[in-house]
Amino acid sequence: MRLPRFQYLEPKDLCEALHLLELHGEECRILAGGTDLLVRMKQRLLRPSWILSLKNLHELDYIRNEDGALCIGGRTPLARVLSSPVVAEKIPALREAVQSIGAPTIQHYRGTLGGNLCQDTRCLHHNQSAFWRSTKQPCHKAGGRICYAREGSDRCRSTHQSDAAPALMALEARVVLSRKEGTRILSLEDFYTTRGETPLAIERGEILTEIQIPLPSSGSGNAYRRIAYRSAVDFPIASAGVSVQVRKGRIQRAKIVVGSIASAPLPLAQAGACLQGRPLDDEDALERAAQVSMDHASAFAVDNVGSTVEYRIRMVSVLVKRALKEALHRAQSREDEP
Amino acid sequence: MKRRLPLMLTVNGEEVELFVEPHWTLLEVLRDELDLTGTKEGCGEGVCGACTVLVDGKPVRACLTLALEVSGREVITVEGLAGAEGLDPLQEAFVEHGAVQCGFCTPGMLMAAKALLLEEPAPDEERIRRAISGNICRCTGYTKIVEAIASISGPAKGNPAGGKS
Repeated sequence: MRLPRFQYLEPKDLCEALHLLELHGEECRILAGGTDLLVRMKQRLLRPSWILSLKNLHELDYIRNEDGALCIGGRTPLARVLSSPVVAEKIPALREAVQSIGAPTIQHYRGTLGGNLCQDTRCLHHNQSAFWRSTKQPCHKAGGRICYAREGSDRCRSTHQSDAAPALMALEARVVLSRKEGTRILSLEDFYTTRGETPLAIERGEILTEIQIPLPSSGSGNAYRRIAYRSAVDFPIASAGVSVQVRKGRIQRAKIVVGSIASAPLPLAQAGACLQGRPLDDEDALERAAQVSMDHASAFAVDNVGSTVEYRIRMVSVLVKRALKEALHRAQSREDEP
Repeated sequence: MKRRLPLMLTVNGEEVELFVEPHWTLLEVLRDELDLTGTKEGCGEGVCGACTVLVDGKPVRACLTLALEVSGREVITVEGLAGAEGLDPLQEAFVEHGAVQCGFCTPGMLMAAKALLLEEPAPDEERIRRAISGNICRCTGYTKIVEAIASISGPAKGNPAGGKS
């Protein structure tokens, strides 16, 4: 399968990259690992005139500790995130999420954490070859007015299937967006617009340069669970990222985020509230949180990423419960730490 | 419109200099420009792993890598595995264990396995299975492939029962 033609830009540093990006605007796409972008270009879902390669921007490849947060450069390969001892010890949810992205032969070098967060939404009715799509009227995502995933929908219902996003949202991570004039920091809740047509709040001329994850304190735990057809390569059909804070045998706070259900990861505050103040072994509270998660997810899910929507919704409750149990277990074992 | 850019890289130990179009993938350059047709194109979308090659010792999908992205790097394809003394021990093991049927996935399997063994000379079965989890074989069912890789990994080497580990 051939790629469409484009002009290739290889800036030496971030400053030059931001300048070029501003110059070429909408016609320019950023290439990090390319494992999402190039597939979309081969399917002719995207035909940018310019490709801006980050290959020389080694300054965006780092993991460091800064003021109680772990800062990861936007272009850091997934393999490097996996080998980080801090991630393994303090942010296992991120490790679990990154581990399940693609397969080692995609992750090792090419796939980046920034790229995983910036991936576009997907839909069985849109992510197909140009030939396949040519038999139908364009959908909302392709600039038309039809939705094939839900009849009569007035907007695009494509699904955001990132593994890292729900895990990082549960950890209250932020992203740094840089442009020529300066930078802005967005929480992941604000970074994802929930609009299928334009799922990311990143604007023309901006590059995602850093991911900031507040380092969890003692007595906290986090976990990520997902379900997919194959354990490797496939995108999840449902997932859950959670983080909890426990103190003296009780849950102080729980944050639950469900992924691969809507056009953005779904933070479910009400489900988390079911657990507040409850003892660690309160099975009923866990059950309630899982049930509320499932009810909320069912309002968003449409049948567009494989399997049936009924199964995916039911799996939300299973995944939330599994992730919560693991996170609580981890929090308990870390409660005595200074 | 046709604006070719210079590309220099090392392929199987030899320095190569050529002019490429920006939209050419590493796979197209290897197969169509350098006649190294050992590397296969399966799906062309990064799913099947048949096009796996090593770039600086790490496995990548040649179909999802622009040729210009590996400028100045060292690429090893399946043709680069065998040396003057004959096949690589990994290739020998594939032959020995019958880990090849139609052969289409084999170059990718070999390169994914090679990358694993370069990083970890004595992986256990789980590590082996994980390393080739991004490669699809539609004939043999993986068992023989896993046995072949296990047979030359560290502790199992020279142990007749090693292949069954």
